[in-house]
Amino acid sequence: MGTQRRGGGARWREALTGYGLVLPSMAVFAVFYLYPVAHTLYLSFFNWNLTGDPKPVGLGNYEALLSDEVFGEVLVNTLTYSLATVAVTMVGGLGLALLLNRPGRVYGVLQACIFTSYIVSWVGVSLLWIWMLDAQFGPVNGVLSAFGVSPVDWLGDPDLALWSLVGVTSWKTVGYDMVLFLAGLQSIPVDTLEAAEMDGASRWQRFWSITFPQLMPTTLFVLITSVIMTFQGFDVVRVMTQGGPVRATTIYVYFIYEQAFGYFKVGYAAAAVVLFFVVLLGVTLVQFRLFDRQRREEAP
Amino acid sequence: MERSSVRGWGVRWASVLGLLLVLSSGSCKRDDGASEADGVVEVSFWYAYGGTNRQVTEELIASFNASHPKIRVKGTYQGDYFEALAKVRVASRTSRGPAVTHVVSESLPALWEDGLVEPLDGYARGEGGATAVDLADFIPALSQDGTFDYLGKEVPLFALPFNRSTPIVFYNKKMLADAGVSPPQTWEELEAAARTLTVREGDQTKVWGFELPISWWFWYALLHQADGRLLSEDGKTAMFGHAAGQEALGLLVRMVKQDKTMKNPPGRDYNAWEVANTDFLSGRVAMIWTSTAFLNYLTENAKFELGTAFLPGFKRKAVPTGGTFFVVMKGRPEAEKRAGWEFVRWMTEPEQTKLWSQKTGYMPVRRSVVESAEMKAFYVEHSNWRTTIDQLDHAVRFPFSPKLLEIQRDLLQPNLEKPVVTDATVESVLGKAEADANALLGR
Repeated sequence: MGTQRRGGGARWREALTGYGLVLPSMAVFAVFYLYPVAHTLYLSFFNWNLTGDPKPVGLGNYEALLSDEVFGEVLVNTLTYSLATVAVTMVGGLGLALLLNRPGRVYGVLQACIFTSYIVSWVGVSLLWIWMLDAQFGPVNGVLSAFGVSPVDWLGDPDLALWSLVGVTSWKTVGYDMVLFLAGLQSIPVDTLEAAEMDGASRWQRFWSITFPQLMPTTLFVLITSVIMTFQGFDVVRVMTQGGPVRATTIYVYFIYEQAFGYFKVGYAAAAVVLFFVVLLGVTLVQFRLFDRQRREEAP
Repeated sequence: MERSSVRGWGVRWASVLGLLLVLSSGSCKRDDGASEADGVVEVSFWYAYGGTNRQVTEELIASFNASHPKIRVKGTYQGDYFEALAKVRVASRTSRGPAVTHVVSESLPALWEDGLVEPLDGYARGEGGATAVDLADFIPALSQDGTFDYLGKEVPLFALPFNRSTPIVFYNKKMLADAGVSPPQTWEELEAAARTLTVREGDQTKVWGFELPISWWFWYALLHQADGRLLSEDGKTAMFGHAAGQEALGLLVRMVKQDKTMKNPPGRDYNAWEVANTDFLSGRVAMIWTSTAFLNYLTENAKFELGTAFLPGFKRKAVPTGGTFFVVMKGRPEAEKRAGWEFVRWMTEPEQTKLWSQKTGYMPVRRSVVESAEMKAFYVEHSNWRTTIDQLDHAVRFPFSPKLLEIQRDLLQPNLEKPVVTDATVESVLGKAEADANALLGR
């Protein structure tokens, strides 16, 4: 079946069906995605305050961005937030997966509990943690004070606020990484591990020589999605700190939002978006390379 | 490859149907808010009032619509002042924007210079069938002319005051009485009172003497109390980085860092204000400064007796006004603008402004209301509602510079708390902001 040659009419009809099927979603994609992207690139060469006509400034916005002190701070904040969160959630997610990868209802319930925070909306989680981390009356400081630790101003201290957000983000998303790692762990054939155990390999050896390498595709997937997710962080900042104190928690997307809709510097914000796009594209290409190499190594 | 042809047709029809749906949605009936069917003009009004104020606004809109059969005002809540402002600016380029909105004073100069708002002189005089209005009845300090220093420019009427306010002191009467402290009249007394009122247990502060968001509006008050000004008289040079500006910010730095008698509530913009309100209500702080707009809210929710007072003075007494003005958007069709004028005129009429004031804590914007027998009786019983009005004797104005909002929002607001929460000095922070402001003004 299926190799039979058909007339031109049938083939044409099939092609038409294909185009007909993708056209609606392509139209939506073009209007709501491609056009805004192209328009953002266009606007990045103009000064525009949301009203009136944009004034062309050539590369002025890019030059101003690269010499903007605040922009430098924002880059450091974003990298810190992203890398720290990715590290915590990946190590934490893998650890939890290894710990809870057992049959039985208790483990199922535990897994579900840890995953639930991922389902709750960012706004809900952020509001919860504003209360949890309240310097004077929050439960976190309440517990700490029982151990004689003096109150910590989690969100008000510029040296701490960003780390508090790393903590909140990790708490919310670690369950997602855990579930992915669990799926990865369950696809590793049990016989390999049993064989290794019979040959006298220790737990540690089994993990590093069998489990970890076999998990590599999962690990890469988690890495890519986590990096992209944290680079796009916004809600938690918007609700919990509004970028402050001072600019300690202004991360990239919040910076863009503030420039465009707080100060009406749309061209400036657009230039920041374009730079961000270039950086993310670079990160993604590197990660694709890694994926590719991984696939080739796996090929028999 | 060849699947059932029946299913193939089904898919084909489904895709055609889907396509038709997509195309037809683009040709739906256009509703640009100006439908004039039956001679009724629809006016879209975007507002930024939340909570109680939103309810009162909707009540007022309903009673306007009931008494004006030819006009239908449709109110839409658009988030806080600045979210709403961004939306209004964007919408002014489309055919779907509002005909009427209200904006904070500091954003008026740029809206005017960008040509987005309608001059209202003609309407106010009753030209073109509009209902005239007695401008002299508006309280001078709250009117457009009283709010702005035009920096030598000619600016016509384009904004009518509605929900106007000043910051005032709110204090917990019992705490002050117990400590034998009276509401501070000067900066010195403020610092002393805060010291007396602060209650510590070990390294924990149980009650703060004073709490204030490190925020533009309050700093602007302090700047003028120290006899400073934001811009030079021609509006071309920023002047806030020196003596007065530094003294203003320095006071707060001293109270937070050295005396540890003032709490700096976390969060930006109104988030910090909410924290201060909540702390005050739950008895964690003895005195706060906030807008008189919270008077009803705080009075209803306080489990103690609260008092209000003027802000203290330093070299002089000074207080900025706040809140918003109504504007009519220039780009709307004539019929809508006339109907919009009718609405804002009606809203600022004595009857409505009185109701609004009593239900919210904002000021009534008309002299005839403040001086009416009814309000005089109301103030005898509710003296806290009178504080903000009496304080208008010390009102200071904003420079009418198109860069005012950017200086406020971008250059000052995010940086003011820097010397309070980091090691940066007041001199360096304000010096940099002033230099940036001068670069902006020179552009």
